[in-house]
Amino acid sequence: MGFRGERVSDIFSFNGAIGAGWAQPEPMLSESEVNATIPDGIRRSKLPAWPNASEPELVRHYTWLSTRNFGIDTGFYPLGSCTMKHNPRLNERIANLPGIDRLHPLQPVHQIQGLLSIFYEMQEMLEICSGMDQVTLQPVAGAHGEFTAMRCIQEYHRDNGESHRDKVIVPDSAHGTNPASAAMCGYQIVEIPSGEDGRIDLEALKAAVGEDTAAMMITNPSTLGVFEPEILAASEIVHGAGGQMYYDGANFNAILGKTDPGLMGFDAVHYNLHKTFSQPHGGGGPGSGPIGVKNHLAAYLPTPLAARREISESDPKGVGDGFWYTWEIPEKTIGKVQQWHGNAGAVVRSWAFYRRFGRELEKMSEHAVLAANYLRHIIMNPDKETQEGVHAMPVNGVPADVVMHEFTLSLSPLVEAVGVTGKDVAKRLLDYGVMSPTLYFPMIVPECLMIEPTETESKEVLDKFAADFLTILGEDPDLVKTAPHTTDVRRVDEVSAARNLILRHPKGTE
Amino acid sequence: MDQLPNLGREQEMLSIMGMDSIDELFSNIPENIRRSNSLPLRAPQTEEEIWHDAQHLLGANVDLDSRPSFLSAGLARNFVPAMVGAMATRGEFLTSYTPYQPEVSQGMLQAMWEFQTMISELVGLPVANVSMYDASTAAAEALTCAVRVNGRKATQKGVVYVSQFIPPHRMQVIENYLQGGDTEIRILEHSGDGHIDLNAAANAVGSCAVYVEQPNAFGVLDAGISNLKSIVGENTAVIVGVDVVSLGLVEAPGNYGADIVVGEGQPFGIGPTFGGPIYGIFACAKKYLRQMPGRIVGQTVDVDGKLAYTLTLSTREQHIRRHRATSNICSNETLIALMGAMHMALLGPGGLEKLARRVAASTEATKRAVLSIDGVELVDPKAANFREFAVILPIDAAAAVSYADAAGINAGFDLGVWWADYGMSRCLLIGCDERTSQSDIEALVSALSQWVSEVSV
Repeated sequence: MGFRGERVSDIFSFNGAIGAGWAQPEPMLSESEVNATIPDGIRRSKLPAWPNASEPELVRHYTWLSTRNFGIDTGFYPLGSCTMKHNPRLNERIANLPGIDRLHPLQPVHQIQGLLSIFYEMQEMLEICSGMDQVTLQPVAGAHGEFTAMRCIQEYHRDNGESHRDKVIVPDSAHGTNPASAAMCGYQIVEIPSGEDGRIDLEALKAAVGEDTAAMMITNPSTLGVFEPEILAASEIVHGAGGQMYYDGANFNAILGKTDPGLMGFDAVHYNLHKTFSQPHGGGGPGSGPIGVKNHLAAYLPTPLAARREISESDPKGVGDGFWYTWEIPEKTIGKVQQWHGNAGAVVRSWAFYRRFGRELEKMSEHAVLAANYLRHIIMNPDKETQEGVHAMPVNGVPADVVMHEFTLSLSPLVEAVGVTGKDVAKRLLDYGVMSPTLYFPMIVPECLMIEPTETESKEVLDKFAADFLTILGEDPDLVKTAPHTTDVRRVDEVSAARNLILRHPKGTE
Repeated sequence: MDQLPNLGREQEMLSIMGMDSIDELFSNIPENIRRSNSLPLRAPQTEEEIWHDAQHLLGANVDLDSRPSFLSAGLARNFVPAMVGAMATRGEFLTSYTPYQPEVSQGMLQAMWEFQTMISELVGLPVANVSMYDASTAAAEALTCAVRVNGRKATQKGVVYVSQFIPPHRMQVIENYLQGGDTEIRILEHSGDGHIDLNAAANAVGSCAVYVEQPNAFGVLDAGISNLKSIVGENTAVIVGVDVVSLGLVEAPGNYGADIVVGEGQPFGIGPTFGGPIYGIFACAKKYLRQMPGRIVGQTVDVDGKLAYTLTLSTREQHIRRHRATSNICSNETLIALMGAMHMALLGPGGLEKLARRVAASTEATKRAVLSIDGVELVDPKAANFREFAVILPIDAAAAVSYADAAGINAGFDLGVWWADYGMSRCLLIGCDERTSQSDIEALVSALSQWVSEVSV
C-alpha cells in the first residue's frame, strides 16, 4: 500500500484554483441580471469555506485516501452477514451508460421501455427465487425494505379491523435493523430467546404470540449461519395467532435454488441486492432492498410497480420482446418510501450480475456454502503440530455438523487461556492483510467472530486465512493485544472520539 | 460462472471435509420445504452477451442528453466532472464496507469527515452526517428527530407542520415515516403569491417542527422563510429543505435560524440516474446531534497519538440500540456522498457560486422566453425562481408535453400528475440547469408557441 508513513493530505490546506474554481462556461445572463433573481434579504453573505483545489491536487488526494482504504479488491473480506463478494466490473460499465445514468424517473414510459423491461425482469426473477407473488424494487436498503414491508403489514391489519395488533416478535439473535424498523412503524418489540443451539425456541414462540401479534421477523439461515429446520412450524404458530411472517433476506445468498421463503411459510421478504446480487457496498452504500410479498399484501406495496402487456400495433416501438412496459399503481398502496423508483442504478448492476448466473444461481449458493463449510472445517481441524501451537482453540458458535454460508466461532477459550479477546484477534488479522470478520455479533455467542467467505474466494485464499488465523491464536499475547501494528494508523481511540467530538474541519469557523 | 474460482474443485474440497456431495451441505433443509425443480430462469450469459443486451435495452431509452430537456422536479440534469467517476470507482472505495475497522478504513473515513465539513459549511450548521437515502427520507427523519428532541416541551404534542407545497411524493414518504410515534402532520398554508403564509406560521408555535422548502416545489424562493425562526421560537425546530446548488447565491439556512437542513445532494456528484442512487444531506444544530439519524465520523488519535478518524456516536444506531435506535438506517449512500464531496471540492467556493449563477441565469432566461408566448402565464407572477418555474397553459399540460415530445423536446413536468386536485392540470413545471442552452430554449419556445397556436384555434 504505497504511501504509508506520516504523510498527511489535508484537502482544506490546498491553494490551487483560488477564486476561479473548476472552469465552467459563462452564465447566460449578466451578474446584475442574476442578482436581481434572488430576493432581498436572502442573498448569500459568505460563501462556504470549501477547498480551493485544482484537479491535480484532488486526484492525488483521493488516490492517497484510496490507498488507505480496504475493499474486497484489496483482500479477503470475510465480514459475516455482509456477503462481501467480488463486484464484476462489467456492472459498473453498464451502470454508466447514458440509458440509465442520464435518465429521469418522470420521463414518459415510451422513453424508458428498456429500463422498465429490466425492472420487470428483476421483479419477476426475485419473485421466482423467493416464492413470493409480487416484488417492488423501491426500497433502497435492507432496513428500508424491512420498514416498507412492516408498513404494508400494518395497513393489512388495519384493513382487517385488527389495528390492535401492535407487537412484533424478533429472536434475540436478529439483526439490529429488524427491531429498529418495526419500532419506526410504532410497533412494540417482543424479543424471544434462542435455544442453546441457536435454534428457535418453539415453546417460547408459542408463549409470545397472541391476539396482539402483528408479525414475526426472522432470518433463515439464522445469524449463526445455521438453517432452522423447524421454520415451517414457527410460521404455523405465528399464522395461527393471526400474525404475518417476515423474512430478513440478509442471508439469502445461502439458499437460492434450494428452498425459498415462500416454501418456509413467509408472507413478506426483503432482498439485499448489495449482498446477494453484488451491488458494490461503496463504503456503506448505496444498497438496494427490494421486497417481495404474497398476494394478500401486494395491494399495499409502494407505488408504482413495473408491469407489462402484449404489445399492440398502436404502441410505439418497444424493446423487441413482444411486450409493452408500463407502471401500475397497487390498489391500496402505502404511497412512496423513496422519492422516485428506488436505486435504479443498483438494480441495473444486479441485473447484470443475475444474467451471468441465470437459472444456475443455485451454483452460486452451493459455492458460498461450500466455502463456508470448508473454511470452518480447516480452521477447526488443523494438523497436530498446528493445534499444539495455539494457546486455545476456538469453539464453534453452534454445534451443527454443517453450516450454511457463514459460521460463528467463540474465542472464549483464548480469553481464558491468555487474555486475548475476539477484538484483539480481529485487529491482528488486519496485520495479515485481511479484513476482520464481524465482531461480537450475534450477541448470544460470547467473544464471537462471524465469518462469511462468499463464493468468490478461492481455496488458496481460504487455506491461507485458516493458517494465519491459527498462527495468531499461538502468537505472543502482547503482540496480539496491541495489534494492529502495520496498518496506516494503529488502534484508534474511539472513546476519545465520542467524548471530544470533532465532527468537521475548523476551516471557515475560525 | 466465471465468478466462481472453485468451480471444478468441489470434490477436492468436499473430500477434505470427509464429504461426498454438495447435497450433504444442504442436509439441514427438510424435504418438505425444498424446491422441487430448478429455477425457471433464463440460461447463464457471458460478459459479452450481457453487454450486448445492456446496450440494446438501455440504448432503447431516451437519455436526457440526447434532446432539449426541461424535466427536473427535484432532480438535476447536471454535469459531473470526469474526475469524480474516475476516483470514486477505485476499487478500494467502491468495494469496501461500512468502516467498522478504522485502522484499515482511514481513506473513506477522512473523505466522509471532509464531506461533513463541506455540507456543514454549505448550509451553515455545525454538524452533518454521511448521508441519507434521498431528500425525502432526510426530510422525514428530520421531522422524527425534531419530535424526539422537542416532544417533551411541546404544547402541541407530537404535532409537526409541513409546507403545503412540497412534492406529493415527499409528503407520502413523510407520512410513512411518521406512522411510529404519536405524531400528527398539519399543513402549513401558503399565500396566493406562492410564499409561506407567515400569519399561518404562527400556528406552529408550541409544535415540534416546521418543514419548509427553499425553493419550494414550484422553484419559488421565499424570503419570508428567513423569519420563521423568530416566529416559532426556540422549542420548535425549523427544518429547511434546500436545492444545494442554490446555496451558491441564496443564504445558508443555518444563518437565518434553521435548526435542521436537508436536501437532495444529487446535483453534486451523480447524474439523475433515474432517481437513484442519489443521496440526502442532513445537517443540524448541536441541540439535535444526539438524536440525529445516520453515520457520523469523528476525528481522534490512535494509540501512538497519530491523527485518525472513526465512526462515532454509534450508540444512537440500530446495531447497538436496536429498537431504541434513533433510526433503522444502516446502509446509506456513502459512495454517492463521496462523489458529491469530490465534485464540491473541485468546484470550490468560486465554482459553487458560478454554478448557481449559471442555473439562476438559465432559469431567468427560459422564463423570459416562455412568457413571450401569448397565452402562457406564470403561476406565481411576482415570485423569484431558482431552477424551476410553473406556467399556466391554455389547456391541459399533458397535451403540451406530448406535443413537445413528438418534436423531440421534454418540455417539463405536467403538474396535473401531482396536483390535479389543486386545479393544476393546466400547469407545466419547467426545469432549467447549467446545461440549458440558448438553442434548447429556442426549441422549447418554438414547440410551445406552435402548440398554443394550434390548440387556440
